[in-house]
Amino acid sequence: MSPALDRLPQRPFASVAAGRFRFVAVLAIVTAFYALCLHYADIDLERLWTGIPRLIAWAMRAWPPDFAELDLLLARALETLAIATIGTTIGAVIAVPACVLAARNLTPNSFLRTPARWVLNALRGIDSFVFALLFVAAVGLGPFAGVLGVALHSAGTIAKLWSEAIEAIEPGPIEAVAMTGATRTKIVVFAVLPDVLPSLTSIVLYVWEVNARASTVLGLVGAGGIGQELKNSVDLLLFPRVFAILIIILVMVTAIDQLSAWLRRRLV
Amino acid sequence: MARALLCVDRLSKAYAGRTVLDAVSLSVASGEVVAVLGASGAGKTTLFRCIAGLAAIDAGSVHLDDTPLQALRGRALAAARRDIGLVFQQHNLVRRLDALDNVLAGRLGRVPAWRVILRRFAGADLSRAVAALDRVGLIEHAHQRADTLSGGQQQRVAIARVLAQESRIILADEPVASLDPVTAAATLALLRGLARERGIGVLCNLHQVDLALGHADRIVGLAGGRIVVDAQPGTFDGAARTRVFGDLPDAPIPAPVTDRSGAVLH
Repeated sequence: MSPALDRLPQRPFASVAAGRFRFVAVLAIVTAFYALCLHYADIDLERLWTGIPRLIAWAMRAWPPDFAELDLLLARALETLAIATIGTTIGAVIAVPACVLAARNLTPNSFLRTPARWVLNALRGIDSFVFALLFVAAVGLGPFAGVLGVALHSAGTIAKLWSEAIEAIEPGPIEAVAMTGATRTKIVVFAVLPDVLPSLTSIVLYVWEVNARASTVLGLVGAGGIGQELKNSVDLLLFPRVFAILIIILVMVTAIDQLSAWLRRRLV
Repeated sequence: MARALLCVDRLSKAYAGRTVLDAVSLSVASGEVVAVLGASGAGKTTLFRCIAGLAAIDAGSVHLDDTPLQALRGRALAAARRDIGLVFQQHNLVRRLDALDNVLAGRLGRVPAWRVILRRFAGADLSRAVAALDRVGLIEHAHQRADTLSGGQQQRVAIARVLAQESRIILADEPVASLDPVTAAATLALLRGLARERGIGVLCNLHQVDLALGHADRIVGLAGGRIVVDAQPGTFDGAARTRVFGDLPDAPIPAPVTDRSGAVLH
């Protein structure tokens, strides 16, 4: 046996004991958290059991899907796509200056950076749906309220993800370009952007894809799109029409997922 | 001797309570090549980062001519940095830009912002960058992306970037660490040629004694964060070597390398 093995120092007992204690503590906390969640989530299997036949009955009445108003439904689906696209674009435009302020390596001054991060976290923390609810009250029913909601939430999300991508780049090239006497704007243009542009684009595509999915429900609060038709049809118990709408949503969202994933693969 | 271009006076720096540089003083005159020798961990890189203003110094001063560099911030610091070319040990090229763009980066301190944003460099800047790339023997690779170049080629692009910058002083942190012996000698010869031609001061980190003996006008030895030797190559003897690197019984000083090569870089 190798003599080096004999000289390997023993792991100190204290650190082994501390490791075990930490494991038990984490286990206890996670268990308690789940118990609390199960209590508040009001899980009731019996209600599920009695509800299933009702769902099946609806599903049977939904067949065949009713595409009688296909023109209208497609127009509404397009409206949803438009809300997601314009909202994401406006969000990205807002995110350009915001991400610079939030990135540690571009804004070392925490008096500027910390408030910027708070604002972005607030925008990201409030869902498009909630923003849309407020904007419907402010600017009235319709897709414009949805666009504003998506734009605000996306601005927070994109700026946050962008600033993280920017923070992940190597400091070396930035220092090297700074040493040529370049000011901040020049450094960003010449050293930061070429490095991060592919990942920044990828992030926008991803947020667009998520928004296309999330925008299908904006109609529930009157903020336009296919969700509006969905809500009307459910309210009127027009199940074949609901079924048709679900098919359209599924096709649209899947197509956008695939397109976005394909584009993002090409970027790397 | 001419008045010193770069003057480092009793510079001290500690990281997390550990002293890395302890009252380091040295000077570089214009046209002079000074080699800083030291073992790994002697504080060479930290010294360069402190001189360049990339790390704050705890005590002492760094003067370029009469400008106290340690007092500068923001735009004044950026303006002063135009005169300080730094070759990094890790090359630090912008990976997704091609070789020529990386060399053009050397001009950023003197080019108006709109030209940088639109990538419309003036003819004079472009020709300086191309000449610099030619001088390190990489003009054929001008349009190759930096991350596809070999380590040695990247190192030479980094040197070309400093050439294009036309700084008054060049700080080179292990500029030949990733080069083969012939290219290494040629690169040091190139730096020395620049010092002679343009009166640039060159401060160069090395860990190979032979290279320092062959190419430097003066050798400064750094050990444990202190200057332990400041000598002409002719007087850098075994005792000096021991002060820098400690006792290594089986490692005699190699014969100085005459810089003959101009084949790879002219």
